[in-house]
Amino acid sequence: MIFNRDKSGDQSQPAQAKPAQPQAAQPQPGALKPEQAAKPAEPPRPAVTAPPTSTKVGANMASVISKALKITGELESTEDIQIDGQIEGDVRGVGVKIGQNAKVKGTVYGDDVELAGTVEGKIEAKKVLISGTARMTGDIWHQDIKVESGAYINGSLKPELGKSDAKQAPKPAAASTSSNVSSLTGTTGAPHH
Amino acid sequence: MQPEAEAPPSRLGPGVGIQGVLEIDGELVISGLVKGRIAASKLVIAPGGYVEGDIVAREVVISGRLNGRVFAPTVSIAASAEVEGRIFHTSVSVERGARVNGRMPWRPVSYFDTLDQLPENRE
Repeated sequence: MIFNRDKSGDQSQPAQAKPAQPQAAQPQPGALKPEQAAKPAEPPRPAVTAPPTSTKVGANMASVISKALKITGELESTEDIQIDGQIEGDVRGVGVKIGQNAKVKGTVYGDDVELAGTVEGKIEAKKVLISGTARMTGDIWHQDIKVESGAYINGSLKPELGKSDAKQAPKPAAASTSSNVSSLTGTTGAPHH
Repeated sequence: MQPEAEAPPSRLGPGVGIQGVLEIDGELVISGLVKGRIAASKLVIAPGGYVEGDIVAREVVISGRLNGRVFAPTVSIAASAEVEGRIFHTSVSVERGARVNGRMPWRPVSYFDTLDQLPENRE
């Protein structure tokens, strides 16, 4: 009852709370806790330190799975994501960057996947970049791939992604015309077998 | 307290949805959707964020929505929060305007130190 009645005051407060940065989890820290208000460093913090944090971490990436985070389960994202931690399960993203120390066990789906770390499973993406530090165990389904020297790939490269979908115009008759993509795959894929 | 000096906090943006178990030795900021169990040093549910499940942490800050249980010595519930469930705490603050529906059982700090396994659902 008390909470419901206080909702009238609710109308004005969220307006203040919403524009705050996501990092500024306590929009009004001074009002929150007496003990926090006692600390002189606290009150100015959210406004001042939140923006530097967001610029410092992962540049403009909206989401960061840091080194210390381990996820067991499914992850879906409609925005770019940087993975530096561990994931056991499938990842469905748009732009997915898998950092050098990251480890993913499962399938990585995306439009644009950059792998510098370890994947055990599968990658299904339109555009794939495997950098020199990458360690890939499993197949890579792609339309466009680049593999840098030093990468470890134990699996097949399949330039067939989206063929059945027929959504991508550049590959209507990939079988007859050896496009840049498929010839590139042939050269990069061969040394690893 | 400068966790970002060593390990930058993990951030899950508004477009991220996770179903499963999240474990982090550090800070986690959720602006997206998480269904499952979360163990963290510090967990922040940002405005717009939604968590469904149990949370175990040293510190929890809720500005978004939560449906589940919290086990944390220090809990802060901001005005924009909507909470449904139980909050096990030693010290809790609720800002005016927050919607809280559920019990807030107090526990000594030692309770959280020995909290290896979550108590079974007895809601």
